Amino acid sequence: MIAKIICYALSGLDGIPVEVETDINRGVPSYDMVGLPDTAVKESKERVRSALKNSGLLFPMNRITINFAPADLKKEGASFDLAIAVSLLKASEQLIGADVADTVFLGELALNGDLRPISGLLPILISAKGHGFTRFIIPAANAKEARFLGGAEIYPAENLLGVVKHLVGLEPIEPLETAEFTAEKWQCSSADLKYVKGQPMARRAIEIAVAGGHNLLMVGPPGTGKTMLARCIPTIMPDLSFQEALEITKIHSVAGILGEEGIVTERPFRTPHHTATTVSMCGGGNRVVHPGEISLAHGGVLFLDELPEYKRSTLEALRQPLEDGKISVSRAGGTFTYPSRFMLCASMNPCPCGNYGSANLVCTCTPAEIRRYRRKISGPLLDRIDLQVEVDNISYDELTSGEKQEGSKEVKERVNMARKIQRNRFSEYKLNTNAEMGEREIEEFCNLDAESEKILRSAFERMKLSARARARIIKVSRTIADLDGCENIRPKHVFEAVSYRLEDKF
Amino acid sequence: MASYTKEEQALIWLCGCTELEPRERVLLLRAAGSPVALFERFEFFSEKVLGSRAACDLAERRRSLDALLAEAEEKGYFALTVLSEGYPEALKASFPPLVLFGAGKRELLREELFCIVGSRVTPPWAVKLGTDIAARLSERFAVVTGLAEGGDLSAVRGALPRGKIVSVLPCGLDECYPAAHASVKEEIIRSGLLLSEYPFREKTRKYSFHARNRILAGLCKGVLVLSAGEKSGALITANTALEYGRDVFAVPYNPGIAQGIGCNELLKRGAYVCTGAQDIFDCYGIVPQEEKTVPLAPEEERLYGILREEGELHTAVLAERAGLPVYETAAVLSALELKGLVVKAGGNRYSCVK
Repeated sequence: MIAKIICYALSGLDGIPVEVETDINRGVPSYDMVGLPDTAVKESKERVRSALKNSGLLFPMNRITINFAPADLKKEGASFDLAIAVSLLKASEQLIGADVADTVFLGELALNGDLRPISGLLPILISAKGHGFTRFIIPAANAKEARFLGGAEIYPAENLLGVVKHLVGLEPIEPLETAEFTAEKWQCSSADLKYVKGQPMARRAIEIAVAGGHNLLMVGPPGTGKTMLARCIPTIMPDLSFQEALEITKIHSVAGILGEEGIVTERPFRTPHHTATTVSMCGGGNRVVHPGEISLAHGGVLFLDELPEYKRSTLEALRQPLEDGKISVSRAGGTFTYPSRFMLCASMNPCPCGNYGSANLVCTCTPAEIRRYRRKISGPLLDRIDLQVEVDNISYDELTSGEKQEGSKEVKERVNMARKIQRNRFSEYKLNTNAEMGEREIEEFCNLDAESEKILRSAFERMKLSARARARIIKVSRTIADLDGCENIRPKHVFEAVSYRLEDKF
Repeated sequence: MASYTKEEQALIWLCGCTELEPRERVLLLRAAGSPVALFERFEFFSEKVLGSRAACDLAERRRSLDALLAEAEEKGYFALTVLSEGYPEALKASFPPLVLFGAGKRELLREELFCIVGSRVTPPWAVKLGTDIAARLSERFAVVTGLAEGGDLSAVRGALPRGKIVSVLPCGLDECYPAAHASVKEEIIRSGLLLSEYPFREKTRKYSFHARNRILAGLCKGVLVLSAGEKSGALITANTALEYGRDVFAVPYNPGIAQGIGCNELLKRGAYVCTGAQDIFDCYGIVPQEEKTVPLAPEEERLYGILREEGELHTAVLAERAGLPVYETAAVLSALELKGLVVKAGGNRYSCVK
């Protein structure tokens, strides 16, 4: 008898249906797998054999052939275990009366028959639902991730025996209840702007950057709170919508870094160390292409501390994803596209010793050293960073009035307002934020009055700005005006935008 | 092709094609009596004076001279020897370079020259001051300086718009030191004048800065020192200028600022105090054109007033004193910066410059 069971393989962020066919013939006992299984899949032979035995089920002592279709797709990983076991049981007529036709089986088996969780479950479920499958049996440990899918019967099983009992109707498993997604409010994030002492300039720059989707560079001596400021950025970003959360969860699920909640509720904050390789940053791998840091930061913040310490080639590789919001990684096994729309926040010291421009400490670097240090960041990359702000080590005894520090909540409200204005503005365009505007949109939405135009021109001459810098200043002015609730860009907005440009010839 | 007399050609060969020390060149010339004699019988004098045999014969010397002249012609360089007409008289008083190689407008050497120097680490306000002074001086003088960052570059930036800039290199004309300023060098050749006493491809050496500074001091009527630490090339220029009897001006600094120690030291020794171009004009009895005053908005006026009292303030502190939100203060400050009244001093601090 031949049994056919459906399970899923992952290719990038998409699930691809795989049929597991089992045929049992009389003959010398043997156990063969065909259909391009990789080592991990072939090893499932032993796991399945032990799992069946230890669950009190019969392992047929016959000639067994297992085929994976389609045969041209390389099957990888251990997520086929459950499907192989069920298909064996079905073929050896141990599942009489069970309806397994339109059910997708996913899970890795332990030798004692327990089901282990798999990575990439959510993307598989989403794809499978798109292919018309609505019944799933999954490992119970993956249940939290699956409960947000909705519109499908999902049965979380503890072990193989449980699956069998459910299928033959002895002990049916309760299907998962669909959970309602609420962007939980940061209860686990300890960062909040109210804990940041001082730094009014940097706080404002962060607010503008988030409001307009701009990238940000913080320059300042060590120990002035650059990292702490950066950690607060996700706390003032708009709440995740369900769609966004699902998209981010898919990526994190594939990478196998999904947390306890089973769905991403917080915007990611990724801080790859500066020894990161280009592959770890952009994604890659031998045959399976894993998402890189920029994809894991999708929807959130990629924080590059000590920017000049990163390998130049790694930084240059960020340029294209910064423009396109996605990255295509090509390997022998295929080309995979992962989304990577993140906000880049970078920090650096002003010079190798860190004291350049400091009020009370002496910088011991020679101009040539400073130049060499700063030149590590290429112009084209710098061109994609709209805001540059100095973070200083002013002692706040100098500020006498007990200024109150705003918390993330208040700032977030203003950001949401500014984002709303932008959504209305770009409703007929494929844009979300001011930072994404091109020349055409700048022309249309950023009318400058004569005075602002004059300011820009003189800024141009004095600061020796490039043509690209001009567009960036205009975009930042637009965001500042949005935060101000102004329909038109006023001179003061332009002036403020100009103040967020450090030396252009950096 | 620019025509040089035989004597001039011999000097150009001596300075452009040989790798002798300046002292050796002078000894050789003294022994030979005239450049042409030296050129024709170089082996003999070289043997006699330096005790070494020159490896090249006359034909080879001619070839290398022709090659040099052809190269200069092609690159648009010119050579000015001590014997040439138009060689700056002021230089001859001291230890004059036998030949000056140049690129750009040589007629600048006929103008009144004033030198501005400063160390490489010059505070932002002094850089701005240097640029302003150079810009105003360029109405009456051609500004002489080097090409390094900091003080020198600020003078270049100020004087370039009028093309009144003479930059003297411590290396050959083909080289650029520091290499990062190659584009500035090109601009100087286009609208000003670039000078060097070294063969075209000579790299900088330790002593060449010192030697270059004597040309800076020698060329000009007076020297302004924008910034100088305790030991600084700018001080060497100033001291050489004093030796040559030139006027020395220095920008006064607060005590305790490392980049100002040298300047204050010069002031103690009697240098003129300089806080603006007017001080230099006054010294020479020049009545300059009226400086235009920039109109300020009321808010700008107020913040500028507060900033002037302190000289330098952090944006947040200024905002607090003015009772404005920080971001509005930042906007007003960048307006003031564009009007040329304040500069960023690093670390979100701003300094007044006028």
